[in-house]
Amino acid sequence: MDKRVGAPDSEQLAPTPARALLLATGLATLLVLLVVFYYPVWTVFENAVLRDGYGVFSALADPLAAVTPDVLLGVLSDPFFLGAAHTLFEAPLRVPGDAAAWTVEFLATARPALVSRPPFVVLVHEAGNVEFGLFGFTAYQAVLSTVLSVLLGVPGAWVLARFEFPGRSTLKSLTILPFVLPSIMVVAGFVATFGTFGTVNDVLAWLGFGRVEMLYTLELVVLAHAFYNAPLVTRMVGTAWENVNANAVETARSLGAGRVRSFTDVVLPQLVPALAASALLTFVFTFMTFPIVLGLGGLRLATVEVWLYASVNQLDYETAAALGTLETAFSLFFMYVYLRYEARRASSGTGKPLPRARLFSADTLRDWLSRAGIAAYGLVIVVVFVLPLASMVLASVGGLDDPTLEWWRLLVERQGGSRTEPSVAVWNSLLFGLGALAVALPMGVVVAAFSTRGGRLRKLGDTVLMAPIAVSGVVVGFGLLQGLVFGVDIGSYRVSVVGPAVVVMAHAVAGYPFVVRNVAPMLADLDDRLVEAARSLGADRARALWDVELPLVWPGVVAGAAFAFAISIGEFDSTVILAGENTYTMPVALKRFLVDRTAGPSIGPAAAMGTVLLVVTAVSFVVIDYVGGRYRP
Amino acid sequence: MKRRTYLKTGGAAAIAGLAGCLNVSESNDGTTTDTTTGGTTEGTTTGTASEPDEPLTIATYDSFFGDEGTAGNWLKQAWEAERDTKIEFTAPSNGVNEFISRKKQGASIDADLFVGLNTGELVRVDEQLPDATLFDTPGGLSHASRIKDSLQIDPERRALPYDTGYISLVYDSTEIEEPQTFDDLTSPAYQGALLAENAQTSDPGRAFLLWTIHEMGADGYLDYWQDLVENDVRILDDWQPAYNAYMNRERPIVVSYSTDQVYYHGEDELPRHQIGFLNDQGYANPEAMARFADTNQPETAAAFMDFVLTDEAQANIAVNNVQFPATTTADLPDEYDQYAHEPPEPVTFTYEELAGNLDGWINEWARQIASN
Repeated sequence: MDKRVGAPDSEQLAPTPARALLLATGLATLLVLLVVFYYPVWTVFENAVLRDGYGVFSALADPLAAVTPDVLLGVLSDPFFLGAAHTLFEAPLRVPGDAAAWTVEFLATARPALVSRPPFVVLVHEAGNVEFGLFGFTAYQAVLSTVLSVLLGVPGAWVLARFEFPGRSTLKSLTILPFVLPSIMVVAGFVATFGTFGTVNDVLAWLGFGRVEMLYTLELVVLAHAFYNAPLVTRMVGTAWENVNANAVETARSLGAGRVRSFTDVVLPQLVPALAASALLTFVFTFMTFPIVLGLGGLRLATVEVWLYASVNQLDYETAAALGTLETAFSLFFMYVYLRYEARRASSGTGKPLPRARLFSADTLRDWLSRAGIAAYGLVIVVVFVLPLASMVLASVGGLDDPTLEWWRLLVERQGGSRTEPSVAVWNSLLFGLGALAVALPMGVVVAAFSTRGGRLRKLGDTVLMAPIAVSGVVVGFGLLQGLVFGVDIGSYRVSVVGPAVVVMAHAVAGYPFVVRNVAPMLADLDDRLVEAARSLGADRARALWDVELPLVWPGVVAGAAFAFAISIGEFDSTVILAGENTYTMPVALKRFLVDRTAGPSIGPAAAMGTVLLVVTAVSFVVIDYVGGRYRP
Repeated sequence: MKRRTYLKTGGAAAIAGLAGCLNVSESNDGTTTDTTTGGTTEGTTTGTASEPDEPLTIATYDSFFGDEGTAGNWLKQAWEAERDTKIEFTAPSNGVNEFISRKKQGASIDADLFVGLNTGELVRVDEQLPDATLFDTPGGLSHASRIKDSLQIDPERRALPYDTGYISLVYDSTEIEEPQTFDDLTSPAYQGALLAENAQTSDPGRAFLLWTIHEMGADGYLDYWQDLVENDVRILDDWQPAYNAYMNRERPIVVSYSTDQVYYHGEDELPRHQIGFLNDQGYANPEAMARFADTNQPETAAAFMDFVLTDEAQANIAVNNVQFPATTTADLPDEYDQYAHEPPEPVTFTYEELAGNLDGWINEWARQIASN
């Protein structure tokens, strides 16, 4: 690949409007990131690395005096956080001996255990008597979550990529839906589905299996993570599968390769990068998990993020900052690995896609078997994805035992001049979502354009630009509160930012990495000769991006747009901090209805609001895909 | 006095145009002037105004205000019917923590009163801000002497209780016998029966933890909790999920409030919603209000506090907030009295007992639970 983007061609020096626009967008992106991301996050981290009383500028002037490792080391050498690994930091000289003892102990006590608690048949989960600490446990549950997400997600990708059936494209755009659902609602749906007296147990009891306790186990937390992340795997792998070049497969077949051989040799290599990328993303997300663990696992399954949140709540900023710093370093490392992987994705995509089989017609035994497999998979999907959502909708009408429209009536009453009006929440959510989309798309496309031009250092730069994915929501929300809402002293003025605009900015910053990750690989796959041809015909970099590259990567832009919109709709933590009393969104309204005193201890009003959220966002995604699919720049 | 009055600053407005919602104020200590520009709907900007026209801003928690049938809404209507000053409620997502951080960082405090402070939070305020005054002591309140002595949470009388809840157990008598003592809960009969809340994140959860420390002592509570863990106690992050689990019949006992039957007193419901006072006790968790020292309308704020302590307001707050009044003279409606139960022996930790201990107790407890 040719990497010469900044070649000092003479025509590049002449500013053109398009080039100026590209530059301006790039600078604006940096400015937005600086104001609503890097600066706020730094205000949190500095508690972990700077001595009391030192600020950013004094630290830059005299880093030796300002920087202190004490707080970080305090966390690193605490067995509660690092388990057996804490000796690495507490007493490095003891490490070889400890590691030997550790290994012996691990080998003596660890055993693969087949845990069968329907519906999860097998999860290996006896780690032996070795202390893993909070970080170790967090990584462990993230690995399990990633494995399950991949197992659940890949068959979906196969079905969506290889079969034709009515509603396929709608289903595909709905795969993003779990992403937007506020965790409070997902927890309620999971409890209703998998609780001792939940739907699944009712069925088990009816079948004569007896009731099993699934709640508040690691298995259920892992399953809930799969609820959020398997659709991500489906989406990313499915797109790669659709881009597999049919000609290559046909060539392999014509050369005598069987079905299996042509799959492993031709198709699989093109899926592995997408698979690895989505698995790494899932790992990063589930490593930083928080509300799901609190809601479905309780304190006994606490993760690093849970502890971070508690530390912030107790105003123990030092511990919070240290945990946030370590967690971010860890996630950034994985982001870097992810980006290396993504760079290696095989180029393809411009050729002929594989033909899709019709789902509802089968002739051979093989066809019948595959349809049976898909039916079984469909059943799993219904249990994991549809039932929790259906349970929430059902809760909004009081359930099957005691049907009532009381909660919907309450929602309508709230419409008449109350503190939280449902329609205002819907309107704000859509408005902020569109705003975030309008900001995140140009940001993402520009960053993608800059970042696809290779180089090891560039990957490092990319990692930094992707940081919004790798920094935990608690850190960002807390940083925004201290850095923006409270304001900073500039001269004799105190400047603070509140209101809708900053919410939109915060949502855009959270969403733009998804635009980049959807667009950048496709940009990298483009035949460079197309751009070069355009350049040689006199188009500058911006013109080439707009006229040549963008139309070719448009599907990626649409996918990124859906993500950016989804992030904005579902965001809760920073919205509730930044928006203030009157600019509430659907998730904020949902939370307020959850603690509505006049409704008593009932999740009914919140479930009704959650149903509204579900419908509004489902319609939005279908519209985004429909409009985006038709429109070509 | 000059806070929230409009100031024309051309330069500031120009910067604000970029961000849309920039807030620029002069940061010379004490008196600040600020201007809000751009498309904000916050409504923090008012015209040049003298004290009576400026609304009294009350920071509180989400469910205190907003709709018909909340305590805050009743207070607002009753107050505004008699006075010129309007009331504005606001619910910062971090509660009092937000104001502690603001004070620490030198940011402005845009509220006059805080409503919904408990003892532990007041302790935290003082520990986090040893050299600053977040709240001050209002003088000359004619109704303050009616507050029950046992509920006073502040030796300096900055924070005045306006109601109290009692943490107790709620149990399903159709499934389980009433647990009489703390030790009952660790016995085989109650294995896998109890739902509690995380003391780090939840008010009733913290109150229950404090109750066990009150009973077992600072040296013994971790052992007691270890026994509870071994008896399969389940600790959820907040009251709402714990109570939902109870309602879903996941478990027959939940740590909750002794006012539970106010919601559930139907013939079928009562047996499923019995109140359990361990050792005939209940842990009192008074809610208090306090005036921000930075307020620019201290008299109005104090007058509001006095208003909250009148008999009529006390009765209405208690009923709407599903709690008990803080004063000795308030009269509750008979029906409410019938379903809201007070423990025979209310216990609680005082400010002095919590000071210096609270965060350590919670932290040790959380580490022990998470390590299991």
